[in-house]
Amino acid sequence: MSITIVTKINGNSITATADASTSLLEFIRDTLEMKGSKLCCNTGECGACTVIYNGKPINSCVTMAADANGAEITTIEGLAQGDKLHPVQQAFIDTGAVQCGYCTPGYIMSVKVLLDRTTKPTADDIEEAVSGNICRCTGYNKIVDAIHLAADRIAGRA
Amino acid sequence: MEYFEPRSVSEALSVLARHGAEAKIIAGGTDVMVDIKFKEEPGGLVNIKKIPGLNGISENGAGLRIGPLTTIREIETSALVREKLPVLWEAAHQFASLQVRNTATIGGNICRASPSGETLGPLLVLDAKAKLAFGDGQKTVPFTSFFQGPGKSSVGVDGLLTEIDIPYPPAGSKSVYLKHAVRGAMDIAMVGVAVLMTSDSGKNNIQDVRIGLAAVAPTPIRATKTEALLRGKPLTAALVKEAAALASTEASPINDQRSSAEYRRWIVEALTRNGLGQTWKAATGKEIA
Repeated sequence: MSITIVTKINGNSITATADASTSLLEFIRDTLEMKGSKLCCNTGECGACTVIYNGKPINSCVTMAADANGAEITTIEGLAQGDKLHPVQQAFIDTGAVQCGYCTPGYIMSVKVLLDRTTKPTADDIEEAVSGNICRCTGYNKIVDAIHLAADRIAGRA
Repeated sequence: MEYFEPRSVSEALSVLARHGAEAKIIAGGTDVMVDIKFKEEPGGLVNIKKIPGLNGISENGAGLRIGPLTTIREIETSALVREKLPVLWEAAHQFASLQVRNTATIGGNICRASPSGETLGPLLVLDAKAKLAFGDGQKTVPFTSFFQGPGKSSVGVDGLLTEIDIPYPPAGSKSVYLKHAVRGAMDIAMVGVAVLMTSDSGKNNIQDVRIGLAAVAPTPIRATKTEALLRGKPLTAALVKEAAALASTEASPINDQRSSAEYRRWIVEALTRNGLGQTWKAATGKEIA
């Protein structure tokens, strides 16, 4: 059964239809053709599909597209302002926190929510914020470096 | 696949009366969406998130009322839960990942009726009750008799969980939720053990103890024989050993990809021992005699 979805993604008002069984990730990738959010485990375990839903990081692969109705969603495509990358994106590049890159959009969305809340994250804050994201290249140390660098830049310390 | 978005409990019940056998209730979706992708697509989805009044945490006499649509993250970040029901807070805090906690609901965790459901051991030791709505009226069911098997509960196919009532544990009681898993985040518990202990006024004996075991039987269970063994006694090293061994026999675990039945029994024994030791020490201020 087709459902009409009226939502706001990256500040743009969108009206589209989706089948009831469609996930938010499928809606974003296949219907809206925004391919930045990644499909990986499709079970909510790896975090590659993380988007920001009403201010909170969620796994879009296990969220119904129907739940986008009336929500405000930010995907990785919504972070850069023109050619200027978001500080979290830039920090991942500058610290080499990207290996194959598949997990990166999901990490960046989780980290953005963390740094929106605090620019002085503790080790526990960081661990909690990205515990739902897996980097199968295992480049975790550089990801933590990127989080600290982004926090310093956002706070004007670097 | 049909899709329903009822706006009231009574509308949901009438949808379930007609379609409950083939349709699934969906809330956060973190379990149901996985079923849709990897198992069988249900005949329909009944999205209950638009029903007002089914979320939130509030004080209700000498306890908390939690709406089934309350997310695990809302429970984790509730000061009331943390202060009054720390054992539930611990389970919420260890629940999957931040992303999942932001969408998964306590009602979904309960109605999924998985033997390993993270909040279920704590709800059992808290003597919590489910309020259920059916076409022909309401029912209140304690969680000790709510679970009937993997995926099966008193909700059935045509009922709706409308409220979770959790009385405050006795004054001075201490609790702990211990989860055994490999990865800190996301892993489903191989074994979960919740212990809630109250000492007598002289802090010499166990007045009351409740032990909830998860992921080691077809449903989450209370280790009632172990509780009976401990009641009224001081916790000695010999008693801890006997109780932990008894708890492992109350479990009836299975072999699966997460661990073998034999290993699960060992872990039940170890976590029960740790849980009793920790709660005894916290409740009495004493080391085990």
